[in-house]
Amino acid sequence: MGETAKDRAGRWLAAAGRSLWRIGWPRTDKDRAAVMISSLFLHLHPARVSRHSLRASYTLGLGLVSLILFGVLTVTGLALMLYYFPYPAEAYRSMKDLQFVVTFGVVLRNMHRWSAHAMVFVVFLHMCRVFWTGSYKPPREFNWVVGVGLLLVTLALSFTGYLLPWDQLAFWAITVGTNIAAYAPLVGDRLKFLLLAGHVIGPMTLLRFYVLHCVFLPLAAALLVSFHVWRVRKDGLSGAPEVPSVVEETAGTFPASSKTYGLMALTRRPSASVEARDPRDEVFAWPHLLYVEVLVFLGVVILLHVASLLFMAPLEEMADPTRTPNPAKAPWYFLGLQELVHYSAFVGGVLVPTLVVVALVALPYVDRRPHGVGRWFAPERRLANTVFTVLVVVATLLTIVGTFFRGPNWAWTWPW
Amino acid sequence: MRDPQTAPPRLHMVFAGLGLGFLAIFSWVFLREQGAEWRSLQARFRGVQTTVKNPHQLAEAAGAQGLRQVWLADLGRVDRCATCHLGIDDPAFASASAPFRTHPGTWLATHPVERFGCTACHDGQGEATDYEHAAHQPIPHVERAMRPLETIEANCGSCHRSLDPPDAPRLAAGRRLIVESGCVSCHDIPGFERMRFRGPALDSLGYKVRAEWVQAWLKDPKAYLPSSRMGNFRLSQAEITALQALLLSQKAQAPLDAAVDWKKADTVAGRALFGELRCVSCHAVGGRGGTMGPELTRIGDKVRREWLFSFLKDPHREQPDTAMLQYRLKDEEVRDLTAFLLDEYKTGGAEAETVLASYQDPRAVQDGQTVFVRHGCYGCHRLAGLSETGKIGPSLAGVADRDPDQLPYGRNVVRRTTDNYIFLKLLLPDALGTPSLMPTLGFTPVQAATITVALAGLRKADLPASRVVKVTPPDPYRPQGRFGEIATRYRCLSCHRIGGTGGDLSTVPLDRIGSQLQSDYLVRYLLNPGAVRVSVEARMPVFHMPPEEARTIADYAAATFLDDDLDRYDARFTPAEARRGEQLYRQLGCVGCHQMDMQGGYVGPDLSNTGTRLRPGWTAAWLTAPERYKPGTLQPDYGLTAADARALTAYLTTLGAHGAAPPAGGPAGGQ
Repeated sequence: MGETAKDRAGRWLAAAGRSLWRIGWPRTDKDRAAVMISSLFLHLHPARVSRHSLRASYTLGLGLVSLILFGVLTVTGLALMLYYFPYPAEAYRSMKDLQFVVTFGVVLRNMHRWSAHAMVFVVFLHMCRVFWTGSYKPPREFNWVVGVGLLLVTLALSFTGYLLPWDQLAFWAITVGTNIAAYAPLVGDRLKFLLLAGHVIGPMTLLRFYVLHCVFLPLAAALLVSFHVWRVRKDGLSGAPEVPSVVEETAGTFPASSKTYGLMALTRRPSASVEARDPRDEVFAWPHLLYVEVLVFLGVVILLHVASLLFMAPLEEMADPTRTPNPAKAPWYFLGLQELVHYSAFVGGVLVPTLVVVALVALPYVDRRPHGVGRWFAPERRLANTVFTVLVVVATLLTIVGTFFRGPNWAWTWPW
Repeated sequence: MRDPQTAPPRLHMVFAGLGLGFLAIFSWVFLREQGAEWRSLQARFRGVQTTVKNPHQLAEAAGAQGLRQVWLADLGRVDRCATCHLGIDDPAFASASAPFRTHPGTWLATHPVERFGCTACHDGQGEATDYEHAAHQPIPHVERAMRPLETIEANCGSCHRSLDPPDAPRLAAGRRLIVESGCVSCHDIPGFERMRFRGPALDSLGYKVRAEWVQAWLKDPKAYLPSSRMGNFRLSQAEITALQALLLSQKAQAPLDAAVDWKKADTVAGRALFGELRCVSCHAVGGRGGTMGPELTRIGDKVRREWLFSFLKDPHREQPDTAMLQYRLKDEEVRDLTAFLLDEYKTGGAEAETVLASYQDPRAVQDGQTVFVRHGCYGCHRLAGLSETGKIGPSLAGVADRDPDQLPYGRNVVRRTTDNYIFLKLLLPDALGTPSLMPTLGFTPVQAATITVALAGLRKADLPASRVVKVTPPDPYRPQGRFGEIATRYRCLSCHRIGGTGGDLSTVPLDRIGSQLQSDYLVRYLLNPGAVRVSVEARMPVFHMPPEEARTIADYAAATFLDDDLDRYDARFTPAEARRGEQLYRQLGCVGCHQMDMQGGYVGPDLSNTGTRLRPGWTAAWLTAPERYKPGTLQPDYGLTAADARALTAYLTTLGAHGAAPPAGGPAGGQ
């Protein structure tokens, strides 16, 4: 009698499984909440989310897409590091090897390249979304500031990565980019020297950019991203309809033994997530939120593959300091600035970038009226939205002009 | 509406779609990698039927799998061409189809793939593993697409730096053209550093030429002299006038003031001298004759009588660099020759020269100096007071690596490649971009293309020294002492070679002449040169040389220009040997080509006086291996045994030896 070998094996497997996955497939609401809380990766999600913030038309999933792109960039970047030498001619040869002999090398490099461009674009859109929905307002002021920091880190990551292929495009884009930095008063030349590790781009510059690109900036980004997401979790997803009354937690749907809950109970004032909560308007994160996240992930990865298979990442001749292309252009996201520099070095190189960063950082501390949060283009915020929209349009136009309408000697050229 | 248990069914459909998409895209990535061009080519190669059913080679073919590359560390190149060109160094694939065929010719024997790769000679992108990116045809962002075979010799020139590289006729021709056209006068060209190109000195031009001639010449040199090496500088009329004033004001050295009575000039005697001195060996008239000196067809339109007299009397006084020898002529002879030349070779009448006031004008002379310097005339012509200030044209180092997009094409719609730019610049220097100072040298398109081939190998980055094949020419031979003076005066090296130095007008190098000719004969010949071969008119000029100079030359040759292999020959012949030699002479049919006692053929030299002319060691050596001493000679190699050659030599040595009167020649007979 006794249990069969099959039963024993089943028990052993179940135990082993529980060591990895304590909850099992959640079948009750309690489990659905517990599964989110007990996993390191999932516990960044709340157990329950408002239907409103789940709507695709509200967030457009831009923050999530940025995070996915960051993940893709980390994975492809690590793989690329296996083939890359941060030394001038060798660096360029690595690109050729990736293109011609490394298995999946073409897709790998293309995907890294297009993901990087996409990330700059999506992070910028994410910022626009947050502004247009007023989501930077208290209590999320500081997370907006962190977001601004992330935007800058994203740009820095893309910029440092731009030099690594060591082709003409890379060399001259970085030359132009660092020259824009040199317009800063007093520290400009020192800044440029610090960036280039010299007065002109050389092997030391490449090494410096490589280390920044592969170590310092990704670490900074990872840290800031974690903090950014954690704050979102703490502050709650914005966009729940503003409910004036404070609603109590619904007993029974939240495990009383939860450590998280205990900590939250210690806070002096109810956190925003608690404040805005209306149980009738909420669903469990498992499966609703997770499901959508998986779908977005699949969609992004598919799109990136299609782009990588159809469009080759550019690679021009090997960098040649004696052969200046005309025009030499910065990476596309700085072409708006380069266009301004064309009119006035001070305005484009110093004034505008400084003002933009200062204004962005100061914004949530200046605009503190708690109205119009959680809705696109809320009428209460007409002035703020109009000003911001105009600025975004101007920046976009400048970038488009710099990218497509500027030919040799930065003269006006039609792109067709 | 609220259903927390499951996600909405709509999302399930999206999930299913995206999942399938995910699978599809991953399959695409894998298939793309697996379907790479080189993989399918290698699969095709494994099925290739080779002409030779050598099991080893077939096994080789069957095993062709994976990337193949040649890494040339010193050149920083990786060539993966052999990944597809799988039969390239295997003769078994000589008749295979395109990518697998064996490399034609013997090039891979001298340039094995593992040491030279492919792109060192062919260009293209060696790293690539597909047809398009290997740049078989030009593609964007690849600096050097594969060179078409017509111009591939340009790449030979990257390593082979000698003037006459082997097996690259177009490159060699291009390099010779560069030397002959005087490109080095205006441009620094790597590999041509030691070359000099000199036009005549202009210091005394005011005495030398007629004013109208200067005008016409500066307008278009080739109109006066189609074979002129000077290009057309496309000067404006004002520039021509200024230069004319400058040049005609040059009177550094007056002509030799000999009291010549021109009325007594005898052009008939001059004509005879013109023939005797063999002027046409170096100077063409009417398109026929040598090319070493300037053509004389229109000399009468060009030079002044007094100057020509002075020059013919002492050419080295005026032009120390000239290749022209100095004859020992009497003043009357020079006068007759001058009169003959000026009278015979002219187009216009002997109208009086128009005297230009302008070349007395110091302002015009000043302007002329400006023009002279602006056009870099000093590159070729010496002119006192105008020192050289470097070369006027840009250095051509690295010209092949100039960025074609940054070359000044102007608005001309042409195919913008560096090769094409060089070609057009050579052909039509003024048709490209900005106005150019470069003269129109009148190259034919073929010549321009040939020079382009020679220039298109001048890369910016130099090769490691181990790759450079360079034959440094020996230091030129310069005769010294009394012999040196004489040899310089008569310009022996303008026509003869010694130690690899000298001209090639004469077919007789002088390196072992002392072991070839008997001294007395050499003296007689120098004093009165005649054609050695009956059928050939060409001969040495009559130098009008004093006998002691001829003796000095002969003694020097007998002491210096020797070949021990010839001199060690045992010349003590027995009469029996001579008799057998005579028989052999008849058996071999020597008489078919050689004259003896006014009988025989006209191809070879007259052998009547061989006994007084040649040294036996030379005769024997020549008979044994004529090709060794004179490649391409008409003398047949009979494959004579040493004994037979000795017998023939013994016979020939008896000819004219005993008491035969030396040919008319005079004083040398007294020796």
